[in-house]
Amino acid sequence: MRLFGKTTIDFMGKRKLWYLVSGSLIGIGLISLLIKGVDLGIDFLGGTEIVVKFEKAVQISDVRSAMDKLGINQAEIKTFGSDREILLRTPQQGEGTVVGDRIRSGLATSFPDNPFTVLKEDKIGPKVGAELRRDAMYAVVASLLAIMLYVAFRFKFIYGVGAVVALFHDVLVTLGIISLANGLIPGLNLEISQNMIAAFLTLVGLSVNDTVVIFDRIRENQKIFRSMKLVEVINKSLNETLSRTIITSGTIFLVLIVLLIFGGEVNRGFAFALTIGIITGTYSSIYIASAIVVEWANRAQRKAELID
Amino acid sequence: MRKNRNKLILIGLSVLLALYFLYPTYRDYQLHKQLRSLTGADSLTFVEQNEKAIRENRMKRIKLGLDLQGGMRVVLEVNVLKLLEDLAKNRDDAFTAVLKQVREEAKTSEESPVLLLRRAFEVRQIRMSRYYLALRNTNDDVAKYLEDESVKAIDRGIEIVRNRVDQYGVSEPSIQKLGGTRIIVELPGATNENEVRQLLQGTALLEFKLLKDSDLSYRVMETIDKTLAAASGKDSVAAKKDTTAEADMTPEEFAKKHPFFGIAIIDPQNAPGEAFVLEENKLKVQHILDREDIQQLIPRDLQFLWSAKTRTGGEGKKIFTLYAVKATPELTGGVITNARATIDPSFNQPIVTMEMNNEGSREWARITGANINKRIAIVMDNSIFSAPVVRSKITGGNSQIEGMENIDEARLLEIVLKAGALPAPVEIVEHRSVGPSLGEDSIRAGLLSAGLATLLTVIFMVLYYHTGGGVADLALVFCLLFVLAVLAAFQGTLTLPGIAGIILTLAVAVDANVLIYERIREETATGKTLRAAIDAGYEKAWTAIFDSNLTTFITGLILFQFGSGPVQGFALTLMIGIAASMFSAIFITRVIFEMLTEKSAATVNFG
Repeated sequence: MRLFGKTTIDFMGKRKLWYLVSGSLIGIGLISLLIKGVDLGIDFLGGTEIVVKFEKAVQISDVRSAMDKLGINQAEIKTFGSDREILLRTPQQGEGTVVGDRIRSGLATSFPDNPFTVLKEDKIGPKVGAELRRDAMYAVVASLLAIMLYVAFRFKFIYGVGAVVALFHDVLVTLGIISLANGLIPGLNLEISQNMIAAFLTLVGLSVNDTVVIFDRIRENQKIFRSMKLVEVINKSLNETLSRTIITSGTIFLVLIVLLIFGGEVNRGFAFALTIGIITGTYSSIYIASAIVVEWANRAQRKAELID
Repeated sequence: MRKNRNKLILIGLSVLLALYFLYPTYRDYQLHKQLRSLTGADSLTFVEQNEKAIRENRMKRIKLGLDLQGGMRVVLEVNVLKLLEDLAKNRDDAFTAVLKQVREEAKTSEESPVLLLRRAFEVRQIRMSRYYLALRNTNDDVAKYLEDESVKAIDRGIEIVRNRVDQYGVSEPSIQKLGGTRIIVELPGATNENEVRQLLQGTALLEFKLLKDSDLSYRVMETIDKTLAAASGKDSVAAKKDTTAEADMTPEEFAKKHPFFGIAIIDPQNAPGEAFVLEENKLKVQHILDREDIQQLIPRDLQFLWSAKTRTGGEGKKIFTLYAVKATPELTGGVITNARATIDPSFNQPIVTMEMNNEGSREWARITGANINKRIAIVMDNSIFSAPVVRSKITGGNSQIEGMENIDEARLLEIVLKAGALPAPVEIVEHRSVGPSLGEDSIRAGLLSAGLATLLTVIFMVLYYHTGGGVADLALVFCLLFVLAVLAAFQGTLTLPGIAGIILTLAVAVDANVLIYERIREETATGKTLRAAIDAGYEKAWTAIFDSNLTTFITGLILFQFGSGPVQGFALTLMIGIAASMFSAIFITRVIFEMLTEKSAATVNFG
């Protein structure tokens, strides 16, 4: 079976149009990030979070009034999967696990004929939250740096820059879409937790994987077709790797869709971020990473012509 | 075939090794399935018969993370400020004011509380020695002393927590020191929140208890033994009439006749009052002691307590000691003001010195005076850490404890004695618990999605690449096998993000084959023979696979370094997976193709 024959698409010719698309996507994302922001998870905020499963369905409003009675008024309350499972979160801190205890006993008195079990309880101190936030930042920055250095070392410096700009693009687009989609799709929990950071780093890994395969082909073709213009070499390489790009990304996409649907509540946000990531990661290898190399080559050529 | 012999041997060996590491996981699953199908007495006998197998397989299987099996993870932090307050002498208004200021600063500052305290004192031009150590000491001395004390406090905290967790009896608890001031406690399967909280918080109870007279302890144990023998041996008349001298009996015969002494072994010559119990029998003995009919045989003021640590006996087996002590303590640890482990210069032996306050010294003199040549146990939270013999009446409150085997043992005793003097103020800074039902749901969802994703990928590969796809699918199976085996071999823990990592690994493995096959198709299109196309395909795809996998590996490495808990689990499986996929997707498939094309090129087809 063959989905693609030999193609001769002029990828780089239309790159300016795609800059516009990327630019507006990032723009919309940034606006959403500024206005709507993202939800930070309990890991990074600190506070108490508890997920309970009731025997019968409950109304969020009833749970909220139960919490108000307890004096836990900044609580965030939402369903977690089904309408019998409720997630409660409050930034309130107390010695040890007193806040969690209060919530549990409060729920028990407010819903006497609807017993519940605690599925999950997390308490993160404010200092720990700040540390986890810092560690996550370090992890993201360090991996971007390491990738840039490695690609620059294996190829040329500008390739490293192209790869990392593409990664920034992917992270920004995905973050923007997460900000936009958050709260719109029921049952999809899109807060930034430690798992979500892992998802972002994975999408960084997958995206750079894709970029490197294309760069590898460009490097090879440059050796074979020495007199060919760089734009043409890049176009040729993109066409030659197109089949692989689509097959691999398509397979991963398939896997992620399965994870998104069947992976369970806990993995859903993770799978969503990666699904967006694999799309933008595949796209950015072509229209950001490779395109930046083209722009750079064009500029160098113009400079050379000016000197002549 | 001959050309590939070495490669085939290598592949065969790795598969065998993988199966060897995975077997305990399979056995553990099987044993538990069997155990679940049994009830009541049947399950008890099953556990007894297969005790060794259950324990060993359990140790070597792939461990499941807390998110998959449920349980609790608690991070405790030593409250250094509280410690600084407890350590200070002559606390006055000036001190309280300084401490209040430091407490505010510490909320946002990254610097150590000792440093903040020192700065606050220096700004006010107060010498720290007014409150700590002696007046002649400089601020440097005091700061060093306070830093030392906070490090010791964490050790004390760990020892207290470990002792209690060991008694609580969770399987596979993990207690680790994190950085300078934190303790991570993980209790898989623990669900009772209140119990666990009590376990981890609150001050340790240190007591001095008199050991019971060894004749009396022996008689009590003998009664227990006889009662048990009578209960179980009613039908075996032979046992009663048995005239064989006890020394000539085989261990089996002895154990049959003496249900208690068979597992709680007495050394009549050297230590008749205490029993030695193999680690694996400890629970059994405890069960016997807890039985209501047995409890009635034990005098009211006698209490059986376990040693906190094991000794290593013959065949490297771990042995606990069971002591009989007087239930009412002679003295509690609050009277201890200091304890220190040192080496006695004159005998070059490790010793521990202990100081008491005035009130304690008076009591101590009376107790030691009345009990010369008897043993007093040092008990923390109901575990005995040492049971030294009283040599003489101790007046003035300064005691010296000898007979430790090494300095580590002495240090442990110092920690324990200090726990009475200076509680390690720990507080919970992070607490996560996952209920077992969420864990089950997660496993089901994780396995379902992993299975489905693999199935879809496998079908697609065969459809798209025909024989090539089939070979790639085989490589996928090998890859999965290797990842799980490495995880088992390094006693890694499988978490939910870890499963996600494995799924992504499979994607990476498929990608390597896609890269190779696309190349082979290109090479075939240029008119090469299949054999030549395969060689060229592998060769040309190699740099792309290597570079792309290495960059992904680097991300994994960084994740592992900076991430915590769940993220690390993900990074670990991703890294193992990349290594495994390189081996299976490149090396193994190549060998398979070479063997297939050797026979007849027509059998191979890349679609």
